[in-house]
Amino acid sequence: MANIAAKRIKREFKEVMKSEEVAGGTIKLELVNDSWTELQGEIAGPPDTPYEGGTFLLEIKVPETYPFNPPKIRFMTKIWHPNVSSVTGAICLDILKDQWAAALTLRTVLLSIQALLSAAEPNDPQDAVVAKQYREDIQLFNLTARHWTNAYAGGPTVIWEFNQKVQVLQDMGVDEDQARVALSTFDWGLERATEHLFS
Amino acid sequence: MGEAVSVQPIQFGFLRHCIVTMAGYFEEMGWQELQEGQQANHLLDMARFLIDFGFYNEDIIGEWPRLPPPASREAVSNLPEIRIETGDKSCPICLKTFNVGEKVKEMPCHHQFHAKCILTWLEKTNSCPFCRHELPTDDDAYEAYKKDKKRKEQRKEDIEALHNSMFS
Repeated sequence: MANIAAKRIKREFKEVMKSEEVAGGTIKLELVNDSWTELQGEIAGPPDTPYEGGTFLLEIKVPETYPFNPPKIRFMTKIWHPNVSSVTGAICLDILKDQWAAALTLRTVLLSIQALLSAAEPNDPQDAVVAKQYREDIQLFNLTARHWTNAYAGGPTVIWEFNQKVQVLQDMGVDEDQARVALSTFDWGLERATEHLFS
Repeated sequence: MGEAVSVQPIQFGFLRHCIVTMAGYFEEMGWQELQEGQQANHLLDMARFLIDFGFYNEDIIGEWPRLPPPASREAVSNLPEIRIETGDKSCPICLKTFNVGEKVKEMPCHHQFHAKCILTWLEKTNSCPFCRHELPTDDDAYEAYKKDKKRKEQRKEDIEALHNSMFS
């Protein structure tokens, strides 16, 4: 790894550890290997959102050319959000693409991703299906996102009706994650989700 | 032929009135009839048609679609060099604290960087990595885009000012 990238990540790491966000538990940063090219981030779901109470893990890959090019970041924890792919965890956020600036740090980027959870941008979606639900039925979107937070991120709210529907599909031999994606996609219509999975 | 004759005087009078009025309108707009051998500019007509019917959307082309180009060579070579006086500042790119007496580059927005750090960045794109203050570029298309954007903003402000002066 290029010298400047590794040195900067080391300095950033020290600073993040001293930050008030880490002290307050809203973000976390851990090393994955000794070469400083891969890290794991953690953000807490912001209060007053469907993600509240959840903990979301992020995969962070630092390119050789860092900080002149942005880090590559994706959600490892599954999440239902218009700007995150419900399948791959890829994030649509301008500062991770053409709005990157060399003075941004892993700390500010993690805080920006956390802010994205509080304020989605449905007009610039990463996941078209999620964005459509967000625009057309915000209440159902909030319930679905809360359910995903419970299922994958340790969120506290159990939505029994959704759990039961996932279980029905699992009893038919469908993988749990696939069942949840299909049901969420078809606005929790069990019939249409089943039709989709078995067609 | 028969039909042309059947135009009644009163209708003809109305038609004549319309033609005269339209002629006045054309005159007022500075429009002229096509002369012998002149052709209409169909491309221009098409462009007007598209604008009038909303097929041209400023939002679609309103944003520069990629990273802005590098800063111009001249702007980069004119960046002043500053001697660091205190030991409490660091370079926002490599995050290393500046040494007292060290010489660093200063952007017009007064943000300071190691020469090597900021020059590498400005070879990629033209703005301050800290506050996005823009330096000029050598890219004609980008400079034209910036000028156009500024003009549009000015026009929007003018219209707003006019609106406020009329309705407040």
